[in-house]
Amino acid sequence: MIPESFEYVAPKSVEEALRLLERHGDEAKLLAGGHSLLPLMKLRLATPRFVIDLGRIGGLSYIREFGGQIRIGAMTTHAAVASSALLHEKCPLLAETAAEIGDVQVRNRGTIGGSLAHADPAADYPAAILAIDAEIHATSGRGTRTISAGDFFVDLLATQLRPGEILTEVAVQPFPPRTGSAYVKMHQPASGYAVVGVAARVTLDAAGKALNVSVGVTGVSAKAYRATSVEKALHGEKASPQILEEAARHAAEDVEPLADIHASAEYRREMASVIARRALARAFERARSAKG
Amino acid sequence: MKIQGTALVRAPRERVWELLVTPELLARCLPGCEKLEATGPDRYKVALKISVAAVSGKFSGSVEISEKQPPSVLRMRVEGKGAPGFMNGNGLLSLSDATGGTEVRYEGEAQVGGLVAAVGSRLLEVTAKKVIQQFFSRAEEELTKT
Amino acid sequence: MASATRYIGKSMKRKEDPKLIQGMGHYIDDLNLPGMQAVVLVRSPHAHARIRSIDTAAARSAPGVLAVLTAEDIRDSIGMVPCAAQIPDMKNAARPVLAIDKVRMAGEAVAVVVASDRFLATDAANLVEVDYEPLPAVVDPEKAMSKDSPVIHEQYKDNVAYRWALEGGDLKKAFAKADKIVRQRMVNQRLIPVAMEPRGTMAEYLPGEKTLKVWSSTQIPHLLRTQIAAMIGAPEHSVQVITPEVGGGFGSKLNVYPEEALVAHLAMRLGKPMKWIETRRENFLVAIHGRDQIDDVEMAVKRDGTILGLKVRILADLGAYYQLLTPLIPTLTALMTSGCYKIPAIRVEITAVLTNKMATDAYRGAGRPEATYLVERMMDVVAKALGKDPVEFRRKNFPKPKEFPYTTPTGITYDSADYHRSLDLALKMSGYKKLRAEQAALRKKGRYIGIGVSTYVEICAMGPSSAMPAGGWESATVRIEPSGNVNILTGSSPHGQGQETSFAQIGADILGITPDVVNVVHGDTARVPYGIGTFGSRATAVGGTAVYKSLVKLREKLAAIAGHIMGEKPANLVFGDGRISSKSKKKSIPFGEAVGAAYAAKSLPPGIEPGLDATTFFEPTNFTFPFGTHICVVEVDVETGDVKLTKYVAVDDCGNVINPMLVEGQVHGGIVQAVGQALFEDAVYDDQGQLLSGELTDYAIPRAGDLPWMETARTVTPSPVNPLGVKGVGEAGTIGATPAIMNAVADALAPFGVTHLDMPAKRERVWSAIRAARRAK
Repeated sequence: MIPESFEYVAPKSVEEALRLLERHGDEAKLLAGGHSLLPLMKLRLATPRFVIDLGRIGGLSYIREFGGQIRIGAMTTHAAVASSALLHEKCPLLAETAAEIGDVQVRNRGTIGGSLAHADPAADYPAAILAIDAEIHATSGRGTRTISAGDFFVDLLATQLRPGEILTEVAVQPFPPRTGSAYVKMHQPASGYAVVGVAARVTLDAAGKALNVSVGVTGVSAKAYRATSVEKALHGEKASPQILEEAARHAAEDVEPLADIHASAEYRREMASVIARRALARAFERARSAKG
Repeated sequence: MKIQGTALVRAPRERVWELLVTPELLARCLPGCEKLEATGPDRYKVALKISVAAVSGKFSGSVEISEKQPPSVLRMRVEGKGAPGFMNGNGLLSLSDATGGTEVRYEGEAQVGGLVAAVGSRLLEVTAKKVIQQFFSRAEEELTKT
Repeated sequence: MASATRYIGKSMKRKEDPKLIQGMGHYIDDLNLPGMQAVVLVRSPHAHARIRSIDTAAARSAPGVLAVLTAEDIRDSIGMVPCAAQIPDMKNAARPVLAIDKVRMAGEAVAVVVASDRFLATDAANLVEVDYEPLPAVVDPEKAMSKDSPVIHEQYKDNVAYRWALEGGDLKKAFAKADKIVRQRMVNQRLIPVAMEPRGTMAEYLPGEKTLKVWSSTQIPHLLRTQIAAMIGAPEHSVQVITPEVGGGFGSKLNVYPEEALVAHLAMRLGKPMKWIETRRENFLVAIHGRDQIDDVEMAVKRDGTILGLKVRILADLGAYYQLLTPLIPTLTALMTSGCYKIPAIRVEITAVLTNKMATDAYRGAGRPEATYLVERMMDVVAKALGKDPVEFRRKNFPKPKEFPYTTPTGITYDSADYHRSLDLALKMSGYKKLRAEQAALRKKGRYIGIGVSTYVEICAMGPSSAMPAGGWESATVRIEPSGNVNILTGSSPHGQGQETSFAQIGADILGITPDVVNVVHGDTARVPYGIGTFGSRATAVGGTAVYKSLVKLREKLAAIAGHIMGEKPANLVFGDGRISSKSKKKSIPFGEAVGAAYAAKSLPPGIEPGLDATTFFEPTNFTFPFGTHICVVEVDVETGDVKLTKYVAVDDCGNVINPMLVEGQVHGGIVQAVGQALFEDAVYDDQGQLLSGELTDYAIPRAGDLPWMETARTVTPSPVNPLGVKGVGEAGTIGATPAIMNAVADALAPFGVTHLDMPAKRERVWSAIRAARRAK
């Protein structure tokens, strides 16, 4: 539980952090909360020579409306996301998801940028990010580019972020009218990670039929994914219990589920359907009672 | 841990085979290979730095090819150890012609111990597969480059 | 001569707590000595391997490194890890301090690195090159018995550590007469104790004075001193063991570990103070584990629900080596298989096997939770097979209060009990009948709740020396200082149980003073008389009795002195309100005046020595047998298999109570650990002996949010075994609660045709059981 020796640097600006990242390349890791990086370092499974702490950069922690979007700074803690009045009003799924991450200590230090960039297959945020079609803003020496959530997660612990880039911001659209959402999670009892986590967002038309359904799934396979066949099965539907049950059965049909001592692949697959149905049922119910 | 899967390498079977039995070519394609040298006929000493995102570990060990049926079957025994633990296993590669190239079926059984087994079991299998896939895509690059 | 009970029996906040909650307590890692070196061990990643060679050259030349040693360097200087348990014809599976020639479990230490700090020592430890020849490992205890299994200790032909049987009554006749014989196999899974503070040891040797001081996070300072001295060949009187604050033990620190002897030896050998602090990962790998039995149970009954006989075959997995009590634990299970029932004939057969895993040993309950679990689960399984209500089936087989002391066919004598009263109170508190009605109504709506009852008896106050491997008595010295302040020096070694408070309560009442002037000293072999330690729910019943007896001796002496001053017969004096008074209250002197007189020694009665110091070594005549009834309600989510605890009622009888708040704390904590075993905890090894649940991220322990409100109550049946009438409560929760929870889970699943489920009732296991039962229908 003692890391290899490393050098700690705390830049004061994103520019300085980018310069450090450029200088040290592969040998550097960004510290953005540290709940994944520090345990890996203590086990010596991660042995960076330089740790660049983003925590001392001012102005990376915020939740504000700008240009018709809600912008969330990368260093915003899970606790801040979970308690944001703005998000509760305009994009409650993200706040609900943040409230399910880890425990109080984790939520007080862990950040949205850190969690997304690490892309743990059992992290909570990825499910929500996918379900709300968020944009991820990555900054490098060449400027800032936008990556859509759907493209962001590439593989196990791998994202579209390029070497030398820093995830600086997450941008989400406010929910349209008649929209409801829910994040339902089966906790791994020891770590609190998701064995299965499903984030569902539903927008209804005036007649109460599903106009838009999106379902993000985490914990089940090597990377978080959109359950597109579930979404398709519900399009234009009124979502009776039978229809929900039918649709949710597709929740893990195109993926290879993970297996560990807490859940076999088969159980994960089955639970993906159960949890997806529960998340969808709650999202539909909330959409029906949402202001139209 | 059991691992099996297939990879399609867009190159003729003979060339894929050649790569698998030529140390210099192999060294170029093995992800994180820092050293690969022959210590005898069909015996190699290897040093690998395996890294998946933030997670990395240095392993040193040996590869011994126990069966060769050119250009289709290659059986080997791999032993490696490093600070994160050890891995000992047997692997079988079967090559067959496929549309557009060569299909490589890999199957192996490995005993993994130490830290990686205790804390990494959740990600072990996917990581192993990922490293194998990386190898074959680099092999393809190697074989198709002009 | 008498005193009022003003403090005994009253809840009092713990005297221990202010320092702990302010972070002002000192645990091992808070202690530092000038020039201290850090000790780090190099551990085997293999569960079974021959050591071909160890190359320490690179580590020895690493920065800050003082020494790197292997078994070769120390095998002549340090003996094997001691095992106090002796069972006839038992194989010897002694654990070396550093592995000699081969390793037999993952995590076994092969080398030790000493460096100027822990960081450099860890760096250097990674440079030690060990060449292993892996050998096939055996992990499953049933496979370990097979002919083609690898043999772990190759001086023997097989891995069977011992076979042992216990029989009482005529079992053949019982089974021949039976209307029904019910069989059930149950697994009591391997657990990791998970004390909040991992282990740690610090040592300093003063060559001039020839004294060795060892600080260790232990439950048994004196036994540790004796054993360390023997292991490293130091004269015992020159070794001092000190236990600072100990952050939980649960049996995991009721042991003598390789690291303790090694650190002491290194301090002497290298002439510098040493400290070793265990990492959580090491704590999981190489501190003792608990339980790990497979129990095949057969019960013979009459149609009317009378139990005739019980046959139990225990397969105990001891791991690779013996720790202090390893082989003994399954025999405690055997002793308690009568439960709180009249069973005319019992036979228990134990097969104990060695596997490539860490040793099992005493973990909270130590053999008794296994007994209670198999008996109480069996009561439910048999009740179901007979179509009887599990509560009535239990009640029918209880011995009546007038039948105590009650001797079981396993040869032990229960001191006192009223099982009916305990059961009735728990039924009333839980609203048992209403719960059954609610259960029926909910089932119709597709909701599945289960109600589980467990009526347990356990064995505490370990114990008479005749029944213990290393003495069963306890010591106490009480010293009243000239100021009138009192020091109680106890041989018990409390580490969270609260005896700094409860012993002060006893002291205050016996001497008629207040607890704030009574100080309890423990855990320093240079200050307190030789003691046995804190385990087996013994500290109050045995240690507290020694304290009580020493206090009474001093009260008698003070009465003689005060009587002499006051011109009263000592027998006519009462102690209270800080005074010693005549019964009529006409004459009275302050307590301090009598104390002062004892030290001034100017007008002592004839034959009375000066000073106020009394020591007692109390030897109990029997164990005590606390009992109780636990009732648990769970709801099972049949889609996911998730088990939620919704109600918990515990009625415990631990005899007289010194501090009810401490008792409740013990009951709560015990129940929580039982919840852990029933629902979450599982030490999982893969088939090559790798511990997969090797960290707290994979080994689940219960959290506050997993627990219901616990309603606790007590009945009081004083123990006749000691003058305080106390029995002990440290392990009751862990013993009584596990079967209550699992009975509730099985009860919830009964409509699906599930009759038994092994622990832990993890989601997937519950879900699979429901699915399998549905498919079978």
